[in-house]
Amino acid sequence: MTEKLPRSVVEPKNPRLNVSRGANLPHVPGIRVGDYIFLSGMGPIDPRTGERNHGPIAEQIRTTLSNMQHMLESAGSSLGRVVRVHVVLADISHMAEMDRVYREFFPVDPPARTAWSMQLRFGNGCEIECVALAN
Amino acid sequence: MRDVIAAPATGLDLRQHYGHHQSPAIRAGGLIFCSGMLPVDPQTGERRHGTLTSEAHVIFGNLKLLLESAGSSLDRLVQVHALIYDSIEYDVLNRVYRQYVANGPPTRTVWAAQIEAGFKVELDVIAAA
Amino acid sequence: MSPRREIIVPAVHAPDTASSFGQAVSTVVRGGDFLFVRGLTAVDPQSGERVRGTTASETRQILTHLKQLLEAAGSSLEKVVKVNVWLHSMLEAPNMNEVYARFFSDPPPARTVCGARLPDGVKVIIECTALA
Repeated sequence: MTEKLPRSVVEPKNPRLNVSRGANLPHVPGIRVGDYIFLSGMGPIDPRTGERNHGPIAEQIRTTLSNMQHMLESAGSSLGRVVRVHVVLADISHMAEMDRVYREFFPVDPPARTAWSMQLRFGNGCEIECVALAN
Repeated sequence: MRDVIAAPATGLDLRQHYGHHQSPAIRAGGLIFCSGMLPVDPQTGERRHGTLTSEAHVIFGNLKLLLESAGSSLDRLVQVHALIYDSIEYDVLNRVYRQYVANGPPTRTVWAAQIEAGFKVELDVIAAA
Repeated sequence: MSPRREIIVPAVHAPDTASSFGQAVSTVVRGGDFLFVRGLTAVDPQSGERVRGTTASETRQILTHLKQLLEAAGSSLEKVVKVNVWLHSMLEAPNMNEVYARFFSDPPPARTVCGARLPDGVKVIIECTALA
């Protein structure tokens, strides 16, 4: 008998980070299913204003990962529970700089990661998604 | 432990038609991991190139078939990677996409990627069983 | 009970630090029922050094390494549920597929392949999720 895992929506406590709802897009910020939390790709949105942060890539990565931390904590999880991360960069030459900032957020026992470059919308320098364990 | 979800219609067996070394989907741990779904005719396996809209309709139809054959549904989607050939078609993608996930959409990340055979869109999804 | 998270294989120490295959990435992470393997590139498993080649040879290097990693973790290629492959060019998909087919027995896992910009002239990246 196949187990039917419960499926529920994850939303950030800070509504400015709810891009799905704010822009009326056909997705949700996160889904909890069984032991796992899947998050939609996140970009560098300023949590105070809801505006995009298009500063240097280091700032964009820092903003995005802080937002991801907020999203996970809103779901009762944390960065320490992340198992897989996908980092997409608009510019492949930003890999080293991205890693330098990234390790501030995952200093010990980091998750698995795959990073690559693609065209991104809205002038964003990065888009980051993850899978985490619920608490 | 790991169940293979066979192609519910012969056209969706990309291994047979194109030699792609993959199963249509695998169920494990209460989740269904699907191979990237392409706009191929579910009966014949022929490529259905078209506009992004027409290709997306074929893809969603195929996903519906596949997931329902596995006891799941589009409503049980958890994560989608929406591969599009150019992010300029983002709004077009949303317009068609919306029609299929109205009852509680899943998470999504859009990847502007190079897709096989010159297709404009491909959906890489995970659903709850 | 809280689902278990464990680092099965920690970061690969890569002398090639300019390409940032550095320490902020674990190679195999257990989360609940699954093993999450990082996006692998062609490296020598002992030294962590880049092994440059064709898409086919890099695919072979990666999947040989993946087999070792999974078996050391008590899993196997047969327990892989999903693979994501990134290629520097989709023209190379048949070359990758031909090598790939030799590693994954019937029935193979689910897979998605796409083309993207990869770092440092890397030709292929392969990531997977497997049952622990």
